[in-house]
Amino acid sequence: MAEESAGGQNRTNAFVVSARKRFIQRVTKTVGEGTLLAIASFVAIVVIFIFYFVAKDAIPFFQIRGFQEFFTTTGWYPADDPAKFGAFAIIYGSLMVTLGSALIAVPMGVAAAICLSDILPFSIRQYAKPVIEMLAAIPSVAFGFFALVVLAPLLQEKGGLLMMWAWWLIAAPFMTLMIIIFADLLTTNIADPKRRKQLNLLLTALFGLIGVALLYRVGSVLSSIQILTGTNALNVSIILSFMALPTIVSVSEDALQAVGRDLREGSYALGATRAETIMKTILPAASSGILAAVILGIMRALGETMVVWMASGNSAHIPEPFFNYFEAVRTLTATIAGDMGEADQVTGSARFHVLFAMGLLLLVISFICNLVSERIVVRQRKILSGQ
Amino acid sequence: MNLGTRKILDRSFTALGIGSIVIMALALMIVIVPIVTNGIGALFFTGTVEHRKMLFHEFKRGDSQKLTEESASAERYRAKVYEMLSGFEAELETMAPEKKREYQPKYTEVRTALQALLGPLPGDPEPMLTRFKYGQTRWEKAEAKLHDLLYEVKWDNSDPNVMSKEYFVSRAISFEGTSLVKLFPYVENNISKMLLPEFTFYWGFITDSSVDSHFFGGIWPEIQGTFFLAVGAMLFAFPLGVIAAVYFTEYARPGFFNSMLRSANSTLAGVPSIVFGMFGLAFFINTLKVSESKSVIAGALTLAIMILPTIIRAAEEAILAVPKTYREASLSLGSTKWNTIVTVILPAALPGILTGGVISLGRAAGETAPIIFTAAVSVGSAIGLADVFSSPTPALSWNIYNLASEHEAAAQIRHVQYGMALALVSIVLLLNLSAIVLRARISKKLKG
Repeated sequence: MAEESAGGQNRTNAFVVSARKRFIQRVTKTVGEGTLLAIASFVAIVVIFIFYFVAKDAIPFFQIRGFQEFFTTTGWYPADDPAKFGAFAIIYGSLMVTLGSALIAVPMGVAAAICLSDILPFSIRQYAKPVIEMLAAIPSVAFGFFALVVLAPLLQEKGGLLMMWAWWLIAAPFMTLMIIIFADLLTTNIADPKRRKQLNLLLTALFGLIGVALLYRVGSVLSSIQILTGTNALNVSIILSFMALPTIVSVSEDALQAVGRDLREGSYALGATRAETIMKTILPAASSGILAAVILGIMRALGETMVVWMASGNSAHIPEPFFNYFEAVRTLTATIAGDMGEADQVTGSARFHVLFAMGLLLLVISFICNLVSERIVVRQRKILSGQ
Repeated sequence: MNLGTRKILDRSFTALGIGSIVIMALALMIVIVPIVTNGIGALFFTGTVEHRKMLFHEFKRGDSQKLTEESASAERYRAKVYEMLSGFEAELETMAPEKKREYQPKYTEVRTALQALLGPLPGDPEPMLTRFKYGQTRWEKAEAKLHDLLYEVKWDNSDPNVMSKEYFVSRAISFEGTSLVKLFPYVENNISKMLLPEFTFYWGFITDSSVDSHFFGGIWPEIQGTFFLAVGAMLFAFPLGVIAAVYFTEYARPGFFNSMLRSANSTLAGVPSIVFGMFGLAFFINTLKVSESKSVIAGALTLAIMILPTIIRAAEEAILAVPKTYREASLSLGSTKWNTIVTVILPAALPGILTGGVISLGRAAGETAPIIFTAAVSVGSAIGLADVFSSPTPALSWNIYNLASEHEAAAQIRHVQYGMALALVSIVLLLNLSAIVLRARISKKLKG
């Protein structure tokens, strides 16, 4: 009993505070919060520092050489005398592998995200998510090693055959689906059910023949392709798409989840199938969020270093013709990583600063992409919550 | 559209989604399986007597008496080879000059192939590089070298429209009519007696340092370097990140400044990793001069900046996931806000914060680009804890690149590269797996 009353005494004392004590409390609170704020703004300071220090070493290059040579010419001979710093082919290489990886990763990533958020039951989703996380966790150098040691020889020896298989696997189901839809759409207006069915069958058979011929023709063209070097833009695009996938999937899944239940249920109530609900209701509502996901995924591919350095072939030229993915390319990141070692000893030369100019270019692109995607996400959230 | 088509579309849509997830899982498998299966080959393989010799001479490990016996029995079979060689050399001297000119280069090729297979031959000068002091230490490599000895590679250029194809010609045929012709079948039949292959578990691959730029030995310096870099980065980033997360979740008031800080955080998360490396070089080394040139501390600081946004985000999520009732209960008992944070919220959020920390640790261990200019060297011994402020270190991620792309004999040490890749991937994936398990347990606990 005595102890309890003593405790009560203390508790009441805690509320009766002298002016001095209150002052001390306020000071410690301000100082403490100030310290916390300082530590939290550390991130902002770091970002400013990164911009400052990269730009500081990049600007001398533009002062010495100007902009025109860097952005418009393709001769990259930094070690020659006189040196040439035409980075257009390198910028083009970066864009090419980024675009290639986006072409593979975006459809797959969005499909996977839809599947995770709307199709799979929760029990399976639980196991699918760790797979994506593991894919995101594999170090880039391991991907690069795989690309260089396993995928490159495979592409070089059996590239045509592999592409033919991929073409059949991807195109055949799609074509079948297309044929069914087209035949259906063309015959919807016929009133007589018997005639409609006959015409439908006829059209399906006709389209089917054309489709098989097309499949076979493209397949045989693909299988006859000889890939001269396995370390090329295609190899890098495939691996980069693996690396961009987790980002695209998780961000688009968030965007799809943000579309509420009411929209879905409204669509189902109107008699739409699940596919129609997704295509006509959910995807339009989540489109801006998915766009943000695509931007983030592309950024991951653009900023990736080790894979492109190891497996892109590192040849600074524009492929011939310009969409030829079977040729070696060189990217900004790989150039920075590869040339810094040699340029390091002559700090202050144009050769050292040109690499920082490339770094600045990457930094600015990633900064803009980030801001845009952030804006998009915020806007989508506002619109959806407004509804 | 009729109902049947709509149903087919619906089904195919489901199939598309499931297919893409399956492809993703397959991609994971396709990348991991070769690394794991070949990587295990660096630890478990069929080792020859040369491997045991190497272990004994370079690492003073193994049973010396057994090794002497084995060497003696191998030497008995090898002696006959040496005999044949010296016999042929004598024969070569007695040949007519033009015949001698014909056989001499071919004989040199045979000798080189035998050196690669069995190690230095009697009468050879002591090799300078360790890689030439021993024959093939791994049985599958010895078989490849045996093939080199038995067959000569020729290129078929007859059709100018097709890429030239290689084909093999038996060397025994080109030595027809000389005493050396008996050597080839002899070596082929007795190779296992000359090399004594036996199943080996080379645990030293993890704990030994490398000999002669990774031709022999293990990867301990790289593992240690990776450990130093990742843990060093965590030491800087973890406290900072958690404190920043506390500020963002508990103290920050919505407004321009706060949204700017958040923007900065996501910008930092999106900066390409190579740019972190350039920043580390320009800031930590060239401006702050934390060390003369590359050092562990510069690399760890650079990595710390890279993983900071991840830690902040994870910690924020963990803190926000703490039920409101905890906070209210604590405040109602009269404790201050700061007291509540330290004694109630942070302990409750700790597992979640740790999950983020573990994932970041894996990221720091696996990242290569930021340490290229700030911390990594290709060859080096393990460094002591006192050297982290001054000396660079080899690291798994960098050395995988270096061995695979820049090593002078990259194709000969594939097993080491695979072993390193396996080590790195298993470190990172184990960290991630533990994070996943940890998180699953937390969510179970929070659900009650």
